[in-house]
Amino acid sequence: MKVLRVSKLTIALFVLPCLLLYICLVFVPILVSLYSGLLDWNGIGESTFVGLENFTNLFFNDKVFWPAVKRTLMFAVFSMAEIPIALFIAILLNRFIRRPNFLVSSYFLPVILSVVIIGQLWMTIYNPASMGGMLNQILEALNLKSWTRSWLTDPAIAMYSIYFVALWQYLGYHTLIQFTGIQNIPADLYEAAKIDGAEGLKADWHITFPMNIPIFKISIVLAFIGSLQAFDMIMVMTGGGPANATDVIATHMYNMSFKSMKYGYGSSIAAFLVGVCLVATIIINYLFNRLERKYS
Amino acid sequence: MTTMKRILKLALTGTLALSLAACGAANKPATTGGTEGEGAKETGSKPQNITITFQNIYPDPTDPKQGMLKKIVKQYEEMHPNVKIELDSLNTDQQKLKLKTQAASKEVPDITIVNPAAQMQPFVEAGLLAPLNDMVEKNGLKDTFQEGILDWYTFDGNLYALSDGNNIGLVYYNKELFEQGGVEVPTTFEEMIEVVKALKAKGIQPMAIGEKDTWTGSFLFMNMLLRTNGPGFLQQVVDGSKTFEDPAFIEAVDAFQNLVQAGAFQEGATSFDYNAGENLFKTGKAAMYYMGSWATGGIEASSVDGKVGVFKFPTINGKGNPDEFMLAPGSAFAISANSKHLEETKDFLNYFMLNFPKEAFEVRGAVGIAQKVDGDFKAAGYSDMAMEVLSMFKDVKGGDIAFDNTMNSGTAQVHLTSIQNLFVQKKDPAEVAKEHQDGYESNIKK
Amino acid sequence: MKSNLSTVSRSATVHTKPRFSIAKPLVYLLLGILFVTQLYPLIWLGIYSLKNNEEILSGSFFSLPAVPQWVNFQNAIEAGNYFRYLSNSVFVTTVTMACVLLLSSLVAFAISRFRWRYGQIVMLVFLVGMMIPMQATLLPLMIIFKNLSLLNTHASIILPYIAFQTPIAVFILSGFMKSIPNEIEESAIIDGAGIFRIFRSIIMPVSIPPMMTVCILTFINIWNEYILAATFISSERLKTLPFGVYSFVSQYSVNYGAIGAFLVLGALPVILIYFLLADKITKGMVAGAVKG
Repeated sequence: MKVLRVSKLTIALFVLPCLLLYICLVFVPILVSLYSGLLDWNGIGESTFVGLENFTNLFFNDKVFWPAVKRTLMFAVFSMAEIPIALFIAILLNRFIRRPNFLVSSYFLPVILSVVIIGQLWMTIYNPASMGGMLNQILEALNLKSWTRSWLTDPAIAMYSIYFVALWQYLGYHTLIQFTGIQNIPADLYEAAKIDGAEGLKADWHITFPMNIPIFKISIVLAFIGSLQAFDMIMVMTGGGPANATDVIATHMYNMSFKSMKYGYGSSIAAFLVGVCLVATIIINYLFNRLERKYS
Repeated sequence: MTTMKRILKLALTGTLALSLAACGAANKPATTGGTEGEGAKETGSKPQNITITFQNIYPDPTDPKQGMLKKIVKQYEEMHPNVKIELDSLNTDQQKLKLKTQAASKEVPDITIVNPAAQMQPFVEAGLLAPLNDMVEKNGLKDTFQEGILDWYTFDGNLYALSDGNNIGLVYYNKELFEQGGVEVPTTFEEMIEVVKALKAKGIQPMAIGEKDTWTGSFLFMNMLLRTNGPGFLQQVVDGSKTFEDPAFIEAVDAFQNLVQAGAFQEGATSFDYNAGENLFKTGKAAMYYMGSWATGGIEASSVDGKVGVFKFPTINGKGNPDEFMLAPGSAFAISANSKHLEETKDFLNYFMLNFPKEAFEVRGAVGIAQKVDGDFKAAGYSDMAMEVLSMFKDVKGGDIAFDNTMNSGTAQVHLTSIQNLFVQKKDPAEVAKEHQDGYESNIKK
Repeated sequence: MKSNLSTVSRSATVHTKPRFSIAKPLVYLLLGILFVTQLYPLIWLGIYSLKNNEEILSGSFFSLPAVPQWVNFQNAIEAGNYFRYLSNSVFVTTVTMACVLLLSSLVAFAISRFRWRYGQIVMLVFLVGMMIPMQATLLPLMIIFKNLSLLNTHASIILPYIAFQTPIAVFILSGFMKSIPNEIEESAIIDGAGIFRIFRSIIMPVSIPPMMTVCILTFINIWNEYILAATFISSERLKTLPFGVYSFVSQYSVNYGAIGAFLVLGALPVILIYFLLADKITKGMVAGAVKG
């Protein structure tokens, strides 16, 4: 039970500065976007109100949209699946390395590099062997020529190539977050568990994992946000191509709003995103509330 | 829009100001593009200090073009000490996005960059650009432009932008690689396919393209359509006399597929952007390169300089006239209709354009500019290839402009994607045609 | 979770000793491979920044430049306006981080510790915006800033940066603050501490670890942000580091080497500061916990 009873003025002082800024610059623009989603508008000239026409077109006539949604969700699933791995690495770091900070920091490096350079780097890895692509050259050297692929231009695998880069880039990021969590688990819990005969992985299962659930939740939410907003990386590496094979919700929205000059239509995609976001938040909250209750 | 804006303004101005103060992050500088200097309207004898914002797409300080831009700006500032030209130099994609965003709130910078014909039409229709009819007559500026080029920027008799380029599509080829492959310059498309196969057999990469930037493939495709149909196909579609399912269009798709299927383009072409694609040609790794004549300067400066020739895109199935080219009127300088310093801005742009050809000539960037250049190209050190390109301009007997300059953006995006798809999978040409027609129909105003 | 936080003090530094020694080499191998794959990009970038365009575009993964192109760095620093952009970036990022931390921890405190009716609603309002990409709000923001005459000022990017970072910050901080045991406040109230003192000298110090997370998050989202900055900033003297990177991208040519050099220069101060502080960050966490 919360104990602090405070005056309305105090609440206002604590909440309003941030809330107002947020409402003006994020919430209201989102509402405006929702409204723009009901317009036939190129973003520049006159607009006409068309009701839900953009949405019906989006849901029923847009060949790019649902595959893009699917890719975005896959992106989210992969990013979330990475978190237990990150936790595992964080545990190893914490347990086996005397001064883990240096390693944690270096794992984190790819995140602070600009996507421009990450994109360039991975293109030189994914390119065809004839263009100096490292991956294919290695496969050829290992006599596995049949395994070589056009990693970024084969519509069937291009998206997976991009997922992989994102996973690689954000592994250190999630490791760092999990590591911070682990650092804050009191050591005497492990001491106590040791007396009960639980050590190593067993102790992790009973202590590290449940104690880290709140941190887990943060990671999951961040992974989800990252997937919904995945944009730069795709633009740099494939531009959404070949033939929309790597388009996700964010790139589709951008293409529609600014390249096809259908701002109203693009806004209806933004509205859809808001919906996805709300549903996802509710689901994540629900699941974690259950988890936390189970373990507390 | 206006009502929405008014509501926003009312609702936000107050509340935001509050949180602004709370945050303490407001550090508004004294001079911004348009907000100050309203006093220019006063008719005092002393000229007011004004700032003109010049949004442009020459961001690279290591590119001679930016040097040229800065030089002219500096000259003008010296002659007019009360005028400051603020350059907002952005890369092309970002400038397009920024201008569209600015246009939505009628906040177009004093000078900006637009693209010809259909691409600038929405800006003109929204009344965002100032007509330049009077300004272009001053100091004989109009006569410096090549015949007909300004038509691409003219709507209802009003000129809205001044072009920086006038290019044509042609095929660059590497003479050395052609010799190694034992092939001659093709005079028909069928021969061209044979050349591709012969080069391929010798292990030489026949053509390079940067198809991650989808317009590159489209530009080539449109040249094929120009051959199978003759000029004006898209206009015929707009007028309703033809559809995309016309045999000429299907024939062009078929020819394009033949080229792709013959293995003309490098592996993974759709992940090469414009520069990476062009670089294959520039480093002698590909034998042919279809591109606008603006590529001339870059090729001259590369390691294949001296080995490169050019040829006109050949006839397809005996159809078409090689003297009809893909025409590429360049991006162009436009002035905001709401500019606070309209007269001064016009005066500056007039000066800028008058000096443009001379300065471009000096930095060897005068091949394919929109204005007439008097000067001896040969003596100024332009290469033989550049001379060849220049002489080709004299053969131009009309042609077509790029897809996105003719069609609305929605249809253009459908087209660009559809053509990109041909690089990764073989499709029935009729299906491609249908895709275009559907895309067109769903994007025209009802 | 709740009952344990008070004992946090003795945690972090104490490690349980690994038992299975066979696993050790394997672990070192795994962590070592990771180290190489995550660090290699930086080395690659360093080499990249010394190549010329043709070497870069020929795309070999391991090759070294024939002649190191130091001119790339000269271009990045002089032509690319490195120092001005860097100082703008530092300013924008620092102000943003400070404001995000302050504003969001105030709200998070209110949501998680105050007894009031609308806490959950406020939280929900924040959650709505948590996942929205900034591009989706470009146009409305443009209109707002135009009417406030804020276009082409640092405020026009700092304000949306703060606003977009607060939801996740509030989410993280309130999640953490909820887990702080009530007894702490109860005893503080008995001691006669006011609400601001509880916030400043109890809640803030304990919350340093999640605040570090928020800092890092904010940093990586802001430092390389380009779309918003490019749209709202026009004056040369206000531009930030990503402008420098993209300035070498022209319509028909790209100076890749200079981009590489610029990125090296952009990343260097960050990496230096980060590694210098890495130990301090952890110590800070522990020290903060002691006070709690």
